[in-house]
Amino acid sequence: MTRYAMVMDTRRCIGCQSCTVACKIHNELPIDIVYNPVTTIGPTGTFPDLTLSFLPLICMHCGNPPCVDVCPTTASVQREDGIVHVVDSKCVGCLSCIMACPYGARQHNHETGTVSKCDFCKDRLEQGKLPHCVATCHQKARIFGDLHDPESEVSKLIKNNRTVQLLGELNTDPSVFYIY
Amino acid sequence: MSTKHQNWGWMLAVDFFFAGMGGGMLVIAAVVELFGGGTRMSLLGNLLGPASMCIGCGFLILELGKPLRAWRVFMNPKAILTFGAWMMSFAIASGFVYAAMAVPLNLIFWREWAMLGKCLAVVNLVTGLVVATYPGILLGRLKGRPMWVGPGMMALFMLSSLATGGALHYLCAQLMPVLGTLLAPMLIPGSALFFLSGVLVPVPDAVIWRVLPGGIATLLLLQLLLWSGYLWVKQSGATAAEAASAQRWINGNLSLAFRCFMILGTIAPLVLMLLPMQAAAALGAVLVLLGGVTMRLLTVRSGEDRTFLPGEQKYRLRLPTGNEEFLHKNWL
Repeated sequence: MTRYAMVMDTRRCIGCQSCTVACKIHNELPIDIVYNPVTTIGPTGTFPDLTLSFLPLICMHCGNPPCVDVCPTTASVQREDGIVHVVDSKCVGCLSCIMACPYGARQHNHETGTVSKCDFCKDRLEQGKLPHCVATCHQKARIFGDLHDPESEVSKLIKNNRTVQLLGELNTDPSVFYIY
Repeated sequence: MSTKHQNWGWMLAVDFFFAGMGGGMLVIAAVVELFGGGTRMSLLGNLLGPASMCIGCGFLILELGKPLRAWRVFMNPKAILTFGAWMMSFAIASGFVYAAMAVPLNLIFWREWAMLGKCLAVVNLVTGLVVATYPGILLGRLKGRPMWVGPGMMALFMLSSLATGGALHYLCAQLMPVLGTLLAPMLIPGSALFFLSGVLVPVPDAVIWRVLPGGIATLLLLQLLLWSGYLWVKQSGATAAEAASAQRWINGNLSLAFRCFMILGTIAPLVLMLLPMQAAAALGAVLVLLGGVTMRLLTVRSGEDRTFLPGEQKYRLRLPTGNEEFLHKNWL
Protein backbone atom coordinates (compact mmCIF):
# COMPACT_ATOMS: atom_id res chain seq x y z
CA MET A 1 0.00 0.00 0.00
CA THR A 2 1.35 3.41 -0.97
CA ARG A 3 2.13 5.93 1.74
CA TYR A 4 3.05 9.30 0.36
CA ALA A 5 5.85 11.13 2.12
CA MET A 6 8.05 14.16 1.63
CA VAL A 7 11.67 14.71 2.46
CA MET A 8 12.93 18.23 3.15
CA ASP A 9 16.63 18.60 2.58
CA THR A 10 17.40 21.59 4.78
CA ARG A 11 20.99 21.58 3.50
CA ARG A 12 19.65 22.60 0.11
CA CYS A 13 16.87 25.02 1.07
CA ILE A 14 17.85 28.66 0.50
CA GLY A 15 14.62 30.18 1.85
CA CYS A 16 13.50 31.64 -1.47
CA GLN A 17 9.80 30.96 -0.69
CA SER A 18 9.16 29.73 -4.27
CA CYS A 19 7.27 26.76 -2.85
CA THR A 20 5.16 29.07 -0.69
CA VAL A 21 4.18 31.21 -3.67
CA ALA A 22 3.55 28.21 -5.95
CA CYS A 23 1.22 26.69 -3.36
CA LYS A 24 -0.68 29.93 -2.84
CA ILE A 25 -1.24 30.34 -6.57
CA HIS A 26 -2.16 26.71 -7.24
CA ASN A 27 -4.67 26.60 -4.36
CA GLU A 28 -5.86 30.19 -4.90
CA LEU A 29 -5.41 30.96 -1.21
CA PRO A 30 -6.55 34.19 0.46
CA ILE A 31 -3.81 36.67 1.31
CA ASP A 32 -3.55 35.65 4.98
CA ILE A 33 -3.32 31.89 4.45
CA VAL A 34 -0.07 30.03 3.83
CA TYR A 35 0.05 26.24 3.70
CA ASN A 36 3.81 25.83 3.50
CA PRO A 37 5.79 28.60 5.14
CA VAL A 38 9.56 28.57 5.09
CA THR A 39 10.81 29.88 8.41
CA THR A 40 14.20 31.37 9.09
CA ILE A 41 16.34 30.12 11.95
CA GLY A 42 19.11 32.44 12.95
CA PRO A 43 21.51 33.95 12.30
CA THR A 44 23.09 32.25 15.29
CA GLY A 45 26.63 32.29 16.61
CA THR A 46 29.15 35.12 16.63
CA PHE A 47 31.05 36.62 13.74
CA PRO A 48 32.70 35.09 11.78
CA ASP A 49 31.07 31.78 12.77
CA LEU A 50 27.49 32.62 11.87
CA THR A 51 24.88 30.18 10.65
CA LEU A 52 21.51 30.77 9.03
CA SER A 53 19.13 27.99 8.11
CA PHE A 54 15.64 27.59 6.73
CA LEU A 55 12.86 25.25 7.74
CA PRO A 56 10.20 24.48 5.11
CA LEU A 57 6.97 23.63 6.91
CA ILE A 58 3.89 21.88 5.60
CA CYS A 59 1.14 19.58 6.84
CA MET A 60 2.93 16.51 8.14
CA HIS A 61 0.18 14.13 6.90
CA CYS A 62 0.68 12.21 10.11
CA GLY A 63 0.26 8.46 10.22
CA ASN A 64 -1.54 9.02 13.50
CA PRO A 65 -3.22 12.37 12.80
CA PRO A 66 -4.66 14.09 15.91
CA CYS A 67 -6.80 16.31 13.67
CA VAL A 68 -8.91 13.50 12.18
CA ASP A 69 -10.43 11.90 15.27
CA VAL A 70 -11.36 15.25 16.85
CA CYS A 71 -13.45 16.29 13.84
CA PRO A 72 -17.10 15.94 14.91
CA THR A 73 -18.40 15.99 11.34
CA THR A 74 -16.04 13.48 9.64
CA ALA A 75 -14.88 16.31 7.37
CA SER A 76 -11.25 15.54 8.23
CA VAL A 77 -10.24 12.40 6.39
CA GLN A 78 -7.12 10.26 6.17
CA ARG A 79 -6.90 8.39 2.87
CA GLU A 80 -5.36 4.96 2.52
CA ASP A 81 -2.31 6.50 0.86
CA GLY A 82 -1.75 8.64 3.97
CA ILE A 83 -3.01 11.96 2.64
CA VAL A 84 -4.99 13.90 5.24
CA HIS A 85 -7.46 16.35 3.78
CA VAL A 86 -10.67 18.25 4.54
CA VAL A 87 -14.00 17.64 2.78
CA ASP A 88 -15.17 21.22 2.54
CA SER A 89 -18.87 20.39 2.18
CA LYS A 90 -18.86 18.61 5.56
CA CYS A 91 -16.78 21.13 7.55
CA VAL A 92 -18.67 23.33 10.03
CA GLY A 93 -15.64 25.46 10.95
CA CYS A 94 -15.57 24.42 14.62
CA LEU A 95 -11.75 24.75 14.64
CA SER A 96 -11.32 21.52 16.63
CA CYS A 97 -8.78 20.26 14.10
CA ILE A 98 -6.86 23.54 14.17
CA MET A 99 -6.60 23.29 17.94
CA ALA A 100 -5.58 19.62 17.73
CA CYS A 101 -2.83 20.06 15.15
CA PRO A 102 0.50 20.65 16.92
CA TYR A 103 2.12 21.84 13.66
CA GLY A 104 -0.18 24.78 12.88
CA ALA A 105 -0.82 23.23 9.48
CA ARG A 106 -4.53 23.97 9.33
CA GLN A 107 -5.98 27.36 8.53
CA HIS A 108 -9.39 28.87 9.04
CA ASN A 109 -10.54 30.33 5.74
CA HIS A 110 -12.65 33.35 6.61
CA GLU A 111 -13.98 33.51 3.06
CA THR A 112 -15.59 30.06 3.21
CA GLY A 113 -16.02 29.73 7.00
CA THR A 114 -14.35 26.33 6.85
CA VAL A 115 -10.91 24.92 7.56
CA SER A 116 -8.43 24.21 4.79
CA LYS A 117 -4.98 22.67 4.56
CA CYS A 118 -2.32 21.16 2.32
CA ASP A 119 -3.48 17.94 0.64
CA PHE A 120 -0.18 17.12 -1.12
CA CYS A 121 -1.89 18.45 -4.30
CA LYS A 122 -3.96 15.27 -4.59
CA ASP A 123 -5.53 16.61 -7.77
CA ARG A 124 -2.09 16.76 -9.38
CA LEU A 125 -1.12 13.33 -8.05
CA GLU A 126 -4.14 11.85 -9.80
CA GLN A 127 -2.74 13.27 -13.05
CA GLY A 128 0.65 11.71 -12.35
CA LYS A 129 2.24 15.04 -11.44
CA LEU A 130 4.21 16.04 -8.35
CA PRO A 131 2.85 18.47 -5.74
CA HIS A 132 3.28 22.05 -6.89
CA CYS A 133 5.79 22.94 -4.16
CA VAL A 134 8.00 19.97 -5.12
CA ALA A 135 7.85 20.71 -8.83
CA THR A 136 8.72 24.37 -8.18
CA CYS A 137 11.69 23.88 -5.87
CA HIS A 138 14.71 24.64 -8.06
CA GLN A 139 17.12 23.54 -5.32
CA LYS A 140 15.58 20.06 -5.15
CA ALA A 141 15.14 20.58 -1.42
CA ARG A 142 11.70 18.91 -1.51
CA ILE A 143 11.52 15.29 -2.56
CA PHE A 144 8.22 13.44 -2.81
CA GLY A 145 7.44 9.74 -3.14
CA ASP A 146 6.18 6.49 -1.68
CA LEU A 147 7.54 5.74 1.77
CA HIS A 148 6.59 2.07 1.48
CA ASP A 149 8.54 1.56 -1.73
CA PRO A 150 12.16 0.77 -0.73
CA GLU A 151 13.33 1.81 -4.21
CA SER A 152 11.74 5.27 -4.06
CA GLU A 153 13.95 8.33 -3.72
CA VAL A 154 12.39 9.30 -0.39
CA SER A 155 13.03 5.84 1.09
CA LYS A 156 16.66 5.90 -0.02
CA LEU A 157 17.20 9.44 1.30
CA ILE A 158 15.72 8.53 4.67
CA LYS A 159 17.83 5.38 4.81
CA ASN A 160 21.10 7.02 3.83
CA ASN A 161 20.87 10.35 5.66
CA ARG A 162 20.39 11.69 9.13
CA THR A 163 16.70 12.61 9.28
CA VAL A 164 14.25 13.82 11.89
CA GLN A 165 10.46 14.04 12.15
CA LEU A 166 9.20 17.22 13.82
CA LEU A 167 7.64 16.81 17.27
CA GLY A 168 8.04 13.06 16.98
CA GLU A 169 7.64 12.82 20.75
CA LEU A 170 3.91 13.50 20.30
CA ASN A 171 3.52 10.11 18.60
CA THR A 172 1.94 11.61 15.49
CA ASP A 173 4.17 9.67 13.05
CA PRO A 174 4.66 12.48 10.48
CA SER A 175 5.13 11.65 6.79
CA VAL A 176 7.51 14.58 6.38
CA PHE A 177 11.19 13.94 7.12
CA TYR A 178 13.92 16.52 7.48
CA ILE A 179 17.52 15.94 6.43
CA TYR A 180 19.83 18.19 8.45
CA MET B 1 -17.07 34.14 12.02
CA SER B 2 -16.27 36.71 9.35
CA THR B 3 -12.63 37.21 10.26
CA LYS B 4 -9.79 34.74 10.41
CA HIS B 5 -9.63 32.70 13.61
CA GLN B 6 -6.77 30.42 14.46
CA ASN B 7 -8.04 29.89 18.02
CA TRP B 8 -11.37 29.48 19.72
CA GLY B 9 -13.02 32.73 20.75
CA TRP B 10 -14.97 34.04 23.73
CA MET B 11 -18.23 32.46 22.59
CA LEU B 12 -16.84 28.98 23.15
CA ALA B 13 -15.77 30.03 26.65
CA VAL B 14 -19.31 31.24 27.33
CA ASP B 15 -20.64 27.95 25.94
CA PHE B 16 -18.37 26.05 28.32
CA PHE B 17 -19.65 28.22 31.19
CA PHE B 18 -23.37 27.78 30.54
CA ALA B 19 -23.13 24.12 29.57
CA GLY B 20 -20.92 23.30 32.57
CA MET B 21 -23.12 25.23 34.96
CA GLY B 22 -26.22 23.50 33.58
CA GLY B 23 -24.54 20.12 33.95
CA GLY B 24 -23.55 20.96 37.51
CA MET B 25 -27.12 21.99 38.32
CA LEU B 26 -28.44 18.69 36.99
CA VAL B 27 -25.94 16.74 39.09
CA ILE B 28 -26.81 18.63 42.28
CA ALA B 29 -30.55 18.28 41.69
CA ALA B 30 -30.09 14.56 41.01
CA VAL B 31 -28.06 14.00 44.18
CA VAL B 32 -30.70 15.82 46.25
CA GLU B 33 -33.47 13.81 44.56
CA LEU B 34 -31.74 10.48 45.17
CA PHE B 35 -30.25 11.06 48.62
CA GLY B 36 -32.13 14.08 49.97
CA GLY B 37 -34.89 12.16 51.72
CA GLY B 38 -37.79 13.54 49.71
CA THR B 39 -36.29 16.99 49.25
CA ARG B 40 -36.12 18.64 45.82
CA MET B 41 -34.24 21.66 44.56
CA SER B 42 -36.24 24.70 43.52
CA LEU B 43 -38.25 24.38 40.33
CA LEU B 44 -36.68 27.56 39.00
CA GLY B 45 -33.22 26.07 39.51
CA ASN B 46 -34.26 22.77 37.96
CA LEU B 47 -35.58 24.58 34.90
CA LEU B 48 -32.54 26.84 34.60
CA GLY B 49 -30.18 23.83 34.48
CA PRO B 50 -31.24 22.51 31.06
CA ALA B 51 -32.04 26.08 29.94
CA SER B 52 -28.39 27.04 30.63
CA MET B 53 -27.25 24.18 28.44
CA CYS B 54 -29.54 25.41 25.66
CA ILE B 55 -27.95 28.87 25.95
CA GLY B 56 -24.52 27.22 25.81
CA CYS B 57 -25.53 25.36 22.63
CA GLY B 58 -26.60 28.66 21.11
CA PHE B 59 -23.18 30.20 21.73
CA LEU B 60 -21.48 27.08 20.36
CA ILE B 61 -23.48 27.30 17.14
CA LEU B 62 -22.68 31.01 16.78
CA GLU B 63 -18.97 30.19 17.18
CA LEU B 64 -19.06 27.86 14.16
CA GLY B 65 -17.87 29.06 10.78
CA LYS B 66 -20.91 27.39 9.19
CA PRO B 67 -23.76 27.62 11.76
CA LEU B 68 -26.36 26.17 9.37
CA ARG B 69 -24.39 22.92 9.21
CA ALA B 70 -24.34 22.61 13.02
CA TRP B 71 -26.29 19.32 12.91
CA ARG B 72 -23.20 17.68 11.47
CA VAL B 73 -21.46 17.77 14.86
CA PHE B 74 -23.44 14.63 15.75
CA MET B 75 -21.81 12.60 12.97
CA ASN B 76 -18.46 11.26 14.26
CA PRO B 77 -18.81 8.87 17.21
CA LYS B 78 -15.02 8.93 17.71
CA ALA B 79 -14.91 12.68 18.36
CA ILE B 80 -15.15 14.05 21.90
CA LEU B 81 -17.17 16.99 20.60
CA THR B 82 -19.74 14.62 19.09
CA PHE B 83 -19.93 12.66 22.33
CA GLY B 84 -20.42 15.92 24.24
CA ALA B 85 -23.13 17.10 21.82
CA TRP B 86 -25.11 13.86 22.23
CA MET B 87 -24.71 13.88 26.01
CA MET B 88 -25.81 17.50 26.19
CA SER B 89 -28.89 16.69 24.10
CA PHE B 90 -29.84 13.82 26.41
CA ALA B 91 -29.17 16.00 29.47
CA ILE B 92 -31.34 18.85 28.17
CA ALA B 93 -34.25 16.54 27.35
CA SER B 94 -33.99 14.60 30.58
CA GLY B 95 -33.48 17.79 32.61
CA PHE B 96 -36.62 19.45 31.28
CA VAL B 97 -38.75 16.32 31.75
CA TYR B 98 -37.52 16.05 35.35
CA ALA B 99 -38.01 19.76 36.10
CA ALA B 100 -41.52 19.68 34.65
CA MET B 101 -42.55 17.17 37.32
CA ALA B 102 -42.85 20.06 39.77
CA VAL B 103 -44.96 22.27 37.49
CA PRO B 104 -48.56 22.36 38.80
CA LEU B 105 -50.31 21.63 35.53
CA ASN B 106 -52.48 18.64 34.57
CA LEU B 107 -50.73 18.67 31.21
CA ILE B 108 -47.68 17.23 32.95
CA PHE B 109 -49.23 13.76 33.27
CA TRP B 110 -46.05 12.21 34.70
CA ARG B 111 -46.05 14.52 37.73
CA GLU B 112 -47.07 11.83 40.20
CA TRP B 113 -44.76 9.10 38.90
CA ALA B 114 -42.24 9.07 41.74
CA MET B 115 -40.23 6.21 40.25
CA LEU B 116 -39.78 8.16 37.01
CA GLY B 117 -38.35 11.02 39.06
CA LYS B 118 -35.73 8.69 40.52
CA CYS B 119 -34.89 7.22 37.09
CA LEU B 120 -34.55 10.67 35.54
CA ALA B 121 -32.35 11.70 38.45
CA VAL B 122 -29.97 8.84 37.63
CA VAL B 123 -29.90 9.86 33.95
CA ASN B 124 -29.34 13.50 34.95
CA LEU B 125 -26.55 12.52 37.32
CA VAL B 126 -24.64 10.68 34.59
CA THR B 127 -25.28 13.04 31.67
CA GLY B 128 -24.88 16.15 33.85
CA LEU B 129 -21.53 14.92 35.13
CA VAL B 130 -20.35 14.25 31.58
CA VAL B 131 -21.50 17.69 30.37
CA ALA B 132 -19.83 19.33 33.37
CA THR B 133 -16.55 17.54 32.71
CA TYR B 134 -16.29 17.10 28.96
CA PRO B 135 -14.81 20.55 28.08
CA GLY B 136 -11.86 19.56 30.27
CA ILE B 137 -11.57 16.20 28.49
CA LEU B 138 -11.79 17.96 25.12
CA LEU B 139 -9.01 20.41 26.00
CA GLY B 140 -6.86 17.91 27.89
CA ARG B 141 -6.49 15.67 24.82
CA LEU B 142 -5.03 18.41 22.60
CA LYS B 143 -1.35 17.51 22.54
CA GLY B 144 -0.25 20.68 20.81
CA ARG B 145 -1.64 23.05 23.46
CA PRO B 146 0.78 23.01 26.41
CA MET B 147 -1.51 24.75 28.90
CA TRP B 148 -4.35 22.32 28.35
CA VAL B 149 -2.78 18.94 27.75
CA GLY B 150 -3.19 16.41 30.55
CA PRO B 151 -5.93 15.24 32.91
CA GLY B 152 -5.81 18.35 35.14
CA MET B 153 -8.23 20.34 32.99
CA MET B 154 -10.87 17.66 33.45
CA ALA B 155 -10.83 18.04 37.24
CA LEU B 156 -10.71 21.84 37.06
CA PHE B 157 -13.73 22.03 34.77
CA MET B 158 -15.69 19.52 36.83
CA LEU B 159 -15.05 21.44 40.06
CA SER B 160 -15.94 24.78 38.52
CA SER B 161 -19.08 23.39 36.87
CA LEU B 162 -20.33 21.94 40.15
CA ALA B 163 -19.48 25.15 42.05
CA THR B 164 -21.23 27.41 39.52
CA GLY B 165 -24.18 25.00 39.30
CA GLY B 166 -24.48 25.03 43.08
CA ALA B 167 -24.21 28.82 43.13
CA LEU B 168 -27.06 29.28 40.66
CA HIS B 169 -29.21 26.75 42.53
CA TYR B 170 -28.60 28.74 45.70
CA LEU B 171 -29.53 32.02 44.03
CA CYS B 172 -32.71 30.44 42.63
CA ALA B 173 -33.61 29.17 46.09
CA GLN B 174 -33.01 32.68 47.46
CA LEU B 175 -35.11 34.39 44.81
CA MET B 176 -38.12 32.09 44.77
CA PRO B 177 -39.71 32.55 48.17
CA VAL B 178 -39.15 36.31 48.07
CA LEU B 179 -40.85 36.74 44.71
CA GLY B 180 -43.51 34.22 45.63
CA THR B 181 -44.37 36.15 48.76
CA LEU B 182 -44.53 39.44 46.92
CA LEU B 183 -46.76 38.02 44.23
CA ALA B 184 -49.01 35.98 46.50
CA PRO B 185 -51.77 38.60 47.00
CA MET B 186 -52.04 39.09 43.26
CA LEU B 187 -52.58 35.44 42.41
CA ILE B 188 -55.83 34.46 40.73
CA PRO B 189 -56.40 30.76 39.98
CA GLY B 190 -56.15 30.06 36.24
CA SER B 191 -54.16 33.18 35.41
CA ALA B 192 -50.67 33.23 33.93
CA LEU B 193 -49.44 34.71 37.19
CA PHE B 194 -50.91 31.77 39.05
CA PHE B 195 -48.90 29.43 36.84
CA LEU B 196 -45.84 31.59 37.48
CA SER B 197 -46.41 31.26 41.21
CA GLY B 198 -46.06 27.52 40.72
CA VAL B 199 -42.60 28.18 39.41
CA LEU B 200 -41.75 30.58 42.18
CA VAL B 201 -43.39 29.36 45.33
CA PRO B 202 -41.96 25.88 46.08
CA VAL B 203 -39.25 26.37 48.68
CA PRO B 204 -36.44 23.85 48.99
CA ASP B 205 -35.93 22.06 52.25
CA ALA B 206 -34.14 24.04 54.93
CA VAL B 207 -31.32 21.50 54.88
CA ILE B 208 -30.42 22.75 51.39
CA TRP B 209 -29.93 26.25 52.78
CA ARG B 210 -27.31 24.96 55.19
CA VAL B 211 -25.75 22.16 53.15
CA LEU B 212 -25.44 23.90 49.79
CA PRO B 213 -23.20 26.83 50.90
CA GLY B 214 -20.95 24.39 52.75
CA GLY B 215 -20.73 22.19 49.66
CA ILE B 216 -19.92 25.15 47.41
CA ALA B 217 -17.26 26.31 49.88
CA THR B 218 -15.66 22.86 49.79
CA LEU B 219 -15.63 22.89 45.98
CA LEU B 220 -14.07 26.37 46.01
CA LEU B 221 -11.37 25.24 48.42
CA LEU B 222 -10.57 22.30 46.14
CA GLN B 223 -10.57 24.66 43.17
CA LEU B 224 -8.10 26.96 44.91
CA LEU B 225 -5.77 24.09 45.74
CA LEU B 226 -6.08 22.43 42.35
CA TRP B 227 -5.41 25.60 40.34
CA SER B 228 -2.36 26.38 42.49
CA GLY B 229 -1.08 22.84 42.01
CA TYR B 230 -1.89 22.83 38.30
CA LEU B 231 0.09 25.99 37.62
CA TRP B 232 2.98 24.75 39.76
CA VAL B 233 3.10 21.47 37.83
CA LYS B 234 2.89 23.26 34.48
CA GLN B 235 5.55 25.79 35.44
CA SER B 236 7.97 23.10 36.48
CA GLY B 237 6.55 20.85 33.76
CA ALA B 238 7.92 18.47 31.21
CA THR B 239 8.41 20.96 28.39
CA ALA B 240 9.56 24.54 28.00
CA ALA B 241 6.29 25.34 26.19
CA GLU B 242 4.28 24.30 29.27
CA ALA B 243 6.47 26.40 31.55
CA ALA B 244 6.19 29.44 29.25
CA SER B 245 2.43 29.02 29.04
CA ALA B 246 2.04 28.81 32.82
CA GLN B 247 4.26 31.86 33.21
CA ARG B 248 1.68 33.93 31.33
CA TRP B 249 -0.82 33.09 34.08
CA ILE B 250 1.57 33.70 36.95
CA ASN B 251 3.16 36.99 35.95
CA GLY B 252 2.41 37.49 32.27
CA ASN B 253 -0.44 39.11 30.38
CA LEU B 254 -3.08 36.79 31.89
CA SER B 255 -1.94 37.22 35.48
CA LEU B 256 -4.22 40.15 36.40
CA ALA B 257 -7.37 38.35 35.26
CA PHE B 258 -6.17 35.13 36.91
CA ARG B 259 -5.60 36.91 40.23
CA CYS B 260 -9.08 38.42 39.99
CA PHE B 261 -10.47 34.92 39.42
CA MET B 262 -8.57 33.49 42.35
CA ILE B 263 -9.26 36.32 44.82
CA LEU B 264 -12.73 37.53 43.81
CA GLY B 265 -14.00 34.37 42.15
CA THR B 266 -12.66 31.77 44.57
CA ILE B 267 -11.29 33.02 47.92
CA ALA B 268 -13.86 35.79 48.57
CA PRO B 269 -16.91 33.59 47.86
CA LEU B 270 -15.31 30.80 49.89
CA VAL B 271 -15.28 33.10 52.91
CA LEU B 272 -18.74 34.50 52.17
CA MET B 273 -20.24 31.02 51.87
CA LEU B 274 -19.03 30.16 55.35
CA LEU B 275 -20.68 33.20 56.95
CA PRO B 276 -24.03 32.39 58.60
CA MET B 277 -25.91 34.99 56.55
CA GLN B 278 -28.02 34.27 53.48
CA ALA B 279 -27.18 37.65 51.91
CA ALA B 280 -23.45 36.99 52.23
CA ALA B 281 -23.84 33.55 50.67
CA ALA B 282 -25.91 35.05 47.85
CA LEU B 283 -23.19 37.60 47.15
CA GLY B 284 -20.69 34.75 47.23
CA ALA B 285 -22.79 32.83 44.70
CA VAL B 286 -22.76 35.80 42.31
CA LEU B 287 -18.97 35.99 42.64
CA VAL B 288 -18.68 32.27 41.94
CA LEU B 289 -20.59 32.75 38.69
CA LEU B 290 -18.38 35.69 37.65
CA GLY B 291 -15.31 33.65 38.58
CA GLY B 292 -16.54 30.73 36.48
CA VAL B 293 -16.87 32.91 33.38
CA THR B 294 -13.46 34.48 33.96
CA MET B 295 -11.79 31.11 34.39
CA ARG B 296 -13.20 29.80 31.13
CA LEU B 297 -12.30 32.94 29.20
CA LEU B 298 -8.75 32.69 30.50
CA THR B 299 -8.51 28.99 29.78
CA VAL B 300 -9.79 29.28 26.22
CA ARG B 301 -7.49 32.25 25.59
CA SER B 302 -4.46 30.29 26.74
CA GLY B 303 -5.07 28.05 23.72
CA GLU B 304 -3.09 30.68 21.79
CA ASP B 305 0.00 28.97 23.17
CA ARG B 306 1.00 26.15 20.88
CA THR B 307 4.04 23.96 20.35
CA PHE B 308 5.50 26.41 17.85
CA LEU B 309 8.17 25.16 15.47
CA PRO B 310 11.50 26.99 15.09
CA GLY B 311 11.02 30.41 13.52
CA GLU B 312 7.27 29.90 13.09
CA GLN B 313 6.01 32.61 15.43
CA LYS B 314 8.21 35.23 13.79
CA TYR B 315 7.03 34.11 10.35
CA ARG B 316 3.34 34.18 11.25
CA LEU B 317 3.62 37.63 12.83
CA ARG B 318 4.86 38.98 9.51
CA LEU B 319 2.00 37.55 7.46
CA PRO B 320 -0.51 40.00 6.03
CA THR B 321 -3.90 40.08 7.69
CA GLY B 322 -5.88 41.38 4.74
CA ASN B 323 -6.53 44.72 6.49
CA GLU B 324 -3.40 46.45 5.19
CA GLU B 325 -4.02 49.97 4.01
CA PHE B 326 -2.38 49.49 0.63
CA LEU B 327 -4.79 46.68 -0.21
CA HIS B 328 -7.70 49.08 -0.04
CA LYS B 329 -6.04 51.77 -2.13
CA ASN B 330 -7.61 52.51 -5.48
CA TRP B 331 -4.70 51.87 -7.81
CA LEU B 332 -6.45 52.79 -11.04
